[in-house]
This record gives sequence, structure tokens and C-alpha cells, in this order.
Amino acid sequence: MNTFDFLLQGLLVAAQPMNLLYALIGVTLGTAVGVLPGIGPALTVALLLPVTYKLDPGGSLIMFAGIYYGGMYGGSTTSILLNTPGESSSIVTALEGNKMARAGRGGPALATAAIGSFVAGLIATMALALIAPFVVKLALVFGPREYFALMVLAFVTVSSAFGDSTLRGLTSLFIGFALAIVGIDQLTGQTRMSFGIPDLLDGIEVTTLAVAMFAIGESLYIAAQGDLGPDKVEAVKGSVWMNRQDWARSWKPWLRGTAIGFPIGAMPAGGAEIGTFLSYATEKRLTKHPEEFGNGAIEGVAGPEAANNASAAGTLVPLLTLGLPTTATAAIMLAGFQQYGLQPGPLLFATNPQLVWGLIASLLIANFMLLVLNLPLVGLWVKLLTIPKPWLYAGILLFATLGTIGANPSVFELGMLLAFGVLGYVMRIFGYPIAPVVVGLILGPLAEQQLRRALSISQGDVTVLFTSPIAAVLLVIAAAALIIPLILRARGRGEVLAQLAASED
Amino acid sequence: MKQFFLASILAGALALPAFAADYTIIAPANPGGGWDQTARSIQTVMQQEGISGNVQVQNVPGAGGTIGLAQFASQSKGNPNALIVGGYVMVGAILTNNSPVTLNDVTPIARLTGEYEAIVVPADSPLKTFGDLVEALKKDPGAVSWGGGSAGGTDHIAVGLIAKAAGVDPTKINYIAFSGGGEALAAILGSQVTAGISGYGEFESQVKSGTLRLLAVSSAERIAGVDAPTIKESGLDVVVQNWRMVAAAPGLTDEQKAAVSTDIEKLVKSASWQETLKTKGWQDTYLAGDAFKEQLAKDISATETVLKDIGLVK
Amino acid sequence: MSKGHTPSTETRRPDRAALVIAVFLAALGGLIFWDASRLASATGYSGIGPATTPFVIAGCLLILAVWTVFEALRGDFPTRDRQEVAPVVWIIGGLALQMLLLKTAGFSIATGVLFAATAAAFGKRKLWMTIPLGILICLGVWLIFAGLLQLSLPAGPLEHLFW
Repeated sequence: MNTFDFLLQGLLVAAQPMNLLYALIGVTLGTAVGVLPGIGPALTVALLLPVTYKLDPGGSLIMFAGIYYGGMYGGSTTSILLNTPGESSSIVTALEGNKMARAGRGGPALATAAIGSFVAGLIATMALALIAPFVVKLALVFGPREYFALMVLAFVTVSSAFGDSTLRGLTSLFIGFALAIVGIDQLTGQTRMSFGIPDLLDGIEVTTLAVAMFAIGESLYIAAQGDLGPDKVEAVKGSVWMNRQDWARSWKPWLRGTAIGFPIGAMPAGGAEIGTFLSYATEKRLTKHPEEFGNGAIEGVAGPEAANNASAAGTLVPLLTLGLPTTATAAIMLAGFQQYGLQPGPLLFATNPQLVWGLIASLLIANFMLLVLNLPLVGLWVKLLTIPKPWLYAGILLFATLGTIGANPSVFELGMLLAFGVLGYVMRIFGYPIAPVVVGLILGPLAEQQLRRALSISQGDVTVLFTSPIAAVLLVIAAAALIIPLILRARGRGEVLAQLAASED
Repeated sequence: MKQFFLASILAGALALPAFAADYTIIAPANPGGGWDQTARSIQTVMQQEGISGNVQVQNVPGAGGTIGLAQFASQSKGNPNALIVGGYVMVGAILTNNSPVTLNDVTPIARLTGEYEAIVVPADSPLKTFGDLVEALKKDPGAVSWGGGSAGGTDHIAVGLIAKAAGVDPTKINYIAFSGGGEALAAILGSQVTAGISGYGEFESQVKSGTLRLLAVSSAERIAGVDAPTIKESGLDVVVQNWRMVAAAPGLTDEQKAAVSTDIEKLVKSASWQETLKTKGWQDTYLAGDAFKEQLAKDISATETVLKDIGLVK
Repeated sequence: MSKGHTPSTETRRPDRAALVIAVFLAALGGLIFWDASRLASATGYSGIGPATTPFVIAGCLLILAVWTVFEALRGDFPTRDRQEVAPVVWIIGGLALQMLLLKTAGFSIATGVLFAATAAAFGKRKLWMTIPLGILICLGVWLIFAGLLQLSLPAGPLEHLFW
């Protein structure tokens, strides 16, 4: 009961008109910066944090929450409309969202992303308040071997979810792995694939690769179509708003995305993008419209967007209860909290309840403001697509390079942007899927490090990988996901799967 | 409303009076990290105290700060208004990355803050004292897994020094590098590793709440308010401080060096700097002039030896 | 990274461009193999050293290269759209110019040139109009993001007029 008193008190403070205004300003600024490709929520918060210093603690906490949510939502807007994801966790959104936008359904795509984010944010924030201590215990059970099993599962689900050719999908994934080798090996400090170039020592930045492959590769590909390419995109076909069917197809993915994203976000080495990958794979399995996947299925936007937001709230669980910053965004938030005299850790809920609940209330309010700001703007955002192609793509490249330069003003980084842009273009010509490259770059090093850590702790004993119950279950699921479709296909009963999917629900 | 808001910031920024020394500080790391926070704190305090009217912070991230350092050394030569923030991590990174530019290529001004390493075990660990841990290490170095930050970083170096002082072959330590403090902390709390090592601040709240047991700290003397012996007390001569410093450009005249040193001294002595240290939980380990130069040379040679011992530097 | 893209492919089998991809994959695998073989074999307690994963990945890339050769010989690759070369050259040129100009001319001029080059790729070739327009837009962007939001975007002569 006590909890709710604190939450109510926090909400009352956060709902004062002045504080609502701060939330709105925060959300607006966050969205404006977060929209830049290559600038994810972490950098957005870092860049805008000083703006909040000028306010009183309550107001600045609320504006901070607004910037955080705005930065996260900004990324999905550009993913959907322009196929240029701003960070790794909105890559999956671009897959279906951009197809929808091209078919004149950008409005519903943006709306389902916004409402899905809101629903997920709402549920996950409440979950954060109620079950944080329980989730955190589960998270600590996850050691290197459990994470390795989770990565194996992620690889299996991801590889089955992308692309129509096994060869090309695998090739893309392995190009990602190859790029992931570049840099200092985290466990031994040795440099790999760096050829004595200092700029390569930190490896290849995920955002640089994503922006190059998506924004620049895409621009090159569209430009190369010349007059043969598709005419100007029809910005709005049908309603700009979600229709009854869109709602019917969205609400379950929202809930499933939330259920997947929140626990994964709460794991110290989870990362938001893994939740979005798993959510996409789940929706693709469960959908009644499998033919739409790859051509703009609304479930493929609703689920991952919800997962993304839920896992963002999930990262607050270890952050607030243990003081564990598990993502770059969380690390920046930690720096922000310290500004308000809030020292995250196990004692926080006991020693500083007003601030914690004030923060949670601020997050709820900011989440709500995001919806208030963005739903009316959906119509306006969609108009972006009606800008004539020369100016639209000139603008995309302007902002794509702005994001990269802003994150790291180095000529070398721009050179990589260009090189990967060309790579992305060539891969598009030959029908290679792009997303697995980025997935490989993100998950490859995680899998390698966790495996080596697990074996190092066990002093080389391989059996530990299977003896932990959680790891064993995860590996069995992964094996099933890999083998069952193969067996079914081998027996010529592929239609059974479709049957199963159709009779579900 | 937004325009008004932005316009007022713009007007405020333009209205700042121009002072003689306009500093540009390179933070050789991404926004948000320790060096970035140090640089931005210097920026705020210098402007507040009127030491400098306009201070710009520029982030040049990469490779443990060595990219920023290399760029600073080549582009700021002889520029008395250019500063760079750095620290002990840079000393190790220069060695492990074989960086062609070293701290000899810039003009170190002063050490500003520092943090000591803390060695912890989960609360339910059978190891009760630092002595127990050392005994276990001597018996079977492979069975004692240490969770800490990146390979070759301060945490790794400290473990190497402890092993060496205890008479254990430093190449035999089972050090598990994690990315960032959070992930290591989770592994320690979950009893995935035997012991954990990191800056004391990372563990402070866990130690206070009793979920982690603090065995020792790496300072020369006991730290006020921290209930733990030093490593030195247990008979191993190991002192490690993860410090942060500020350096000026290479090729400055003695007057220019003195001017920068004076500004930094003013900064450190100011009330708002002390206030900043307190809110951020940083220890004041200010050290300047020849004393700092001497300490720096000592740190560099000790680090080189231990990195060679661990086998990270040939 | 830029391997020449063969613009037209009337010859269905064998698919020569796909064979080039196979060579590229094999070369990448070889490069990784060479790089990893010079690493110290410090496997520590895990038995897996820094070179192990690169070796596995290099091996898989070689297998993928062979697989690609088979698909290329069978003509299994999808048909490709005709690619116009000129727009691609415009954009790549714009990006390269931006890269070269960034440090000396500053953000606005460098990115303004990229803006104009991209517009040119899509058919707006009036550079005397698009370059100044691009520079103006980028200057506005610079003022907002570098001036107000403290993003570190390189300043050149133009930006110094304002700040």
C-alpha cells in the first residue's frame, strides 16, 4: 500500500502544469535530436542533460524523463519513414515499418509504434515498481553460460526470421561477424583486424554501420534506379489513422513485445535490440498473415516497438535496485541521477523513496506526453514523404552524416560511413539482407565473450555450458527452433506449420 | 514556446563576457564517461568562477583515450589555451595499444581526482578476509576468478600487482574482463566469479547494504569512512590509484605553463570545485608541479613492468 | 570495400558477378585467417584464445564462398535491376568531398556540397543554386546543433562569422 501512496504523491507533483510543460519541452527536444540517424537515446540524453541543470530538481527530473522517451521514439520515426534507423534497437522497426510507409500506410505504422511504445512503457513502468526486486534476483542467476545460451537462441530465431535465401542470409550474418572481430579483444587486450590503425582499435561502431548500410546504401540504391525507380511515394493511402483491423492486429503484439522486452532489458547483459529481434521472430511465427511479412506487416512494427520500450524500462530494474548501468543509455542516466543526488543501489528504495517514485511518476507522465505530442503529429511526419526525392534524400544524407559527425567528428569515421554505404548498396543489388550484418556485429562479440568467460571460470570444462538448468532450457528451445522446421520441411509438411499458425487464436 | 526557450538559452550564451583565456578541453572519451564528466565539470567551474569566460569541451573518443591524445599532441602544439583530460587508464592504454604518442608528448599539469581500487567477494563467500583470498590464490591461481573491467585496465593491473606481491606467477591469474562496471558487478553479485575488483564507488552501496563483503582497498592509508584494511596492511606492498589529470599542449613556454598551472590551481581551490567533487563522490588527490611529474614517471614504469608480467605487453 | 558492380547481367549462367562475390568472401576469410594467425595463442584458462573465433569465422566464410560458387554456376541468384552509374558517382563523390572538406572548410560548406551533390544525383543539377542553398541549410543546422545543443561539429571560416 505504501508503494502506491508514494506513486500517487509523485504523480501529483509531476502533473502540475509547469511540470507538464517541462515534460513537453523534454519530449520535443528529445524527439528532435533522437530523430537524427546515428544518434540514439544514450547520446541524446548525454547531449541534452545540461539543459535540465537549469531547473529545480523536480522539473529537471521530469524534463530528463521526457528527453529519454523522446530520444527513443525519435529513432523509430525515421526508421519507419526513411528506412534509416537511428540506433540498433530500431533496426527491426525499419524492416516492416518502412515497407508500410512505402505502401501509403506510414500513418498506421507510426501510430502503432507510438501507442505500442506507450502501452509497453506503461505496463513495464508499473512492473518496474511492483516486481523489481523479484526480477533482479532472476537477472543475477544469469551468468556467462546462461548468456551464451541466450545468444545461441537469438542467433537461431534471428536467422530464421530474415531473408528468403539461406545462403545470402548466412553470408550477411558472417560479414557482420567478420566486422565484429575488428578491434581490441576485450578479454586479452590483443588487437585483431586493426592493421595498426588506431581508429580501428575500438572496433566498428554499430550506429556507423547501421546508418551507412541503411541510410546511405538505401539512398545510393534509390538513386541508381534513375527514372525506372518507383514514382514518388504515395504518402497516405486510406486512413492516416489506424483502422479497426490495425487495432485488432496490434494489441497482441504490443503485449507480447512487452512480455519479451521487459525481462530481457532487466538482464545485466541483455540489451534492447535482442528483445526486438526475438519479438520480430515471434510475431512472424504467430501471424495469420505470413505473406505480409517482408512487405509491411503491422505486427512486425507493433511487437518490436513495444519490446524496445519495455526493455528500456527493464534496464531501470538493475539500475535502480543494484546501481548496475547495463546499457550506454543507462550509464548516462546514472550520471543524470547523481546530478539529483540519487545514488542508485540496493538501499535506494529504502532511503530515498520520494525520488524513486518521483522518477517513476515522471516516466509515466513523459510517456503520456510523448503520445500527446506525437499522435497529432503523425499526419505531419507522414508529409515528410511527400518532399520531392532530390530534397528528401539530400536531407537524409545531411542528417545521417550530421549524426555521425556529432557522435565522433573524425574523418576516418566518415570514411567508414562511405565504405559501408557502398557495401550496403552492393548487397542490395544482389539481394542480400542488410539487417543480419548489423545483428552479427552486435551479437557476435557478445556470444564470443560470454563463451570465453564461461569456459575461463570453469577452467576449460565445456560441460558447464549444459549443466545449468536455465542454459540447458534455452539451448533446447534453440535446437527445437532450428530442427523442427527442417524436419517438417523434409517430410514435405511445410503446410502443417501454416495450418498451426492459422488455427492459433 | 520552444523557440522562446531556445532563444533565451542562445541569448544567455551570447551575453557571456569574454575573458582573456578561452580554453578548449579535449575529453578523449564519449559523452557521459568519467573523463567527459571531468572535462565538463572543469568547464562549468571555470566559467562560474570567472577563471575563463568561454570553455569548450570537445569529445574525441577511442582506444582508451589514445586517439584523443594523439590528435591533441599534433594539432595543439604551442597553443596555451588547449587542455586535455586524461588518467591512469591512458597510461595502460598507451602501452597495450603501442601508441606512438605518449604522455611525454604533452605537458601534464596536475592530477585532479582519484579513486582507489576495492576488492570484494559476495556476502556468502567462504573467504572472510583478504588474507583468505591471497591463500586461495597461492594454492590454485586458476580457481580464483577475478571479475573486473577491461583487459589491461586499472583493475587488471591491480590484480597483477597483487599476484606478484604474493609470489604468484602473474600470467597464471584467472582474470575475467567485463565491459563496464555494471556487468562485472552483476557477475560478482551472482557469485559467478570468486572475487571482484573495481573502483570503490562501484561497490559502495552494495557494501553498505551488506550484499558484498569488502576485503581490502588499494590506498596507502585507510580511507576515512570506509571500513576495510589496505592491501598494504596485509603485507603486500600494492598501492593503486585510478587518477584523472589535466594536461596542456606540448611546446609551451615556461610562462605559458605557469599561467595554465595557476588557472588550474585556482580551479581546484575554488568552492564550487570542492562542491562538485562532493556531489560526484570524487576524492581530491590534487598533485601538481614536480611532485606530480615524479609520481607520473613512477606510475608509468610500474605499469609497464606489470603489464609485461601479465603478458599483455611484449 | 568497393568491388566493381557489374551493371548488366544478361548472361544468366554462370553468374559472373556472383563469382566475384565468392572471391570477395574467400579473400575476406583469408584476410581474417592471416590476421588471426599472428596473434599470440594466449588461451588462458578457457582454452579459447583471441584467435579461435576468427579462425572459425574465416572457415565459415570459405564454406560460404564455395556455396556461392555453386549457386552462381546454377544461376540461382535473383535477377537484378539495371543500375544507373551517374547518380551513384554523384553521391559517392559528394560524400568523399564532404570528408575531405570537413576539417578545413567546416561543417556547413562540406555538408552543403554533399547536399547539392545528392540533389544532383536525383536530377537537380543546377549546382550554382543548390550549393549555396545547401550551405545555408547546413549553417542553420549547425547553429541549432553546435550552437545550442553543444554537439561538436567542426567549425570553418563560415561558422566563425557567427560564433
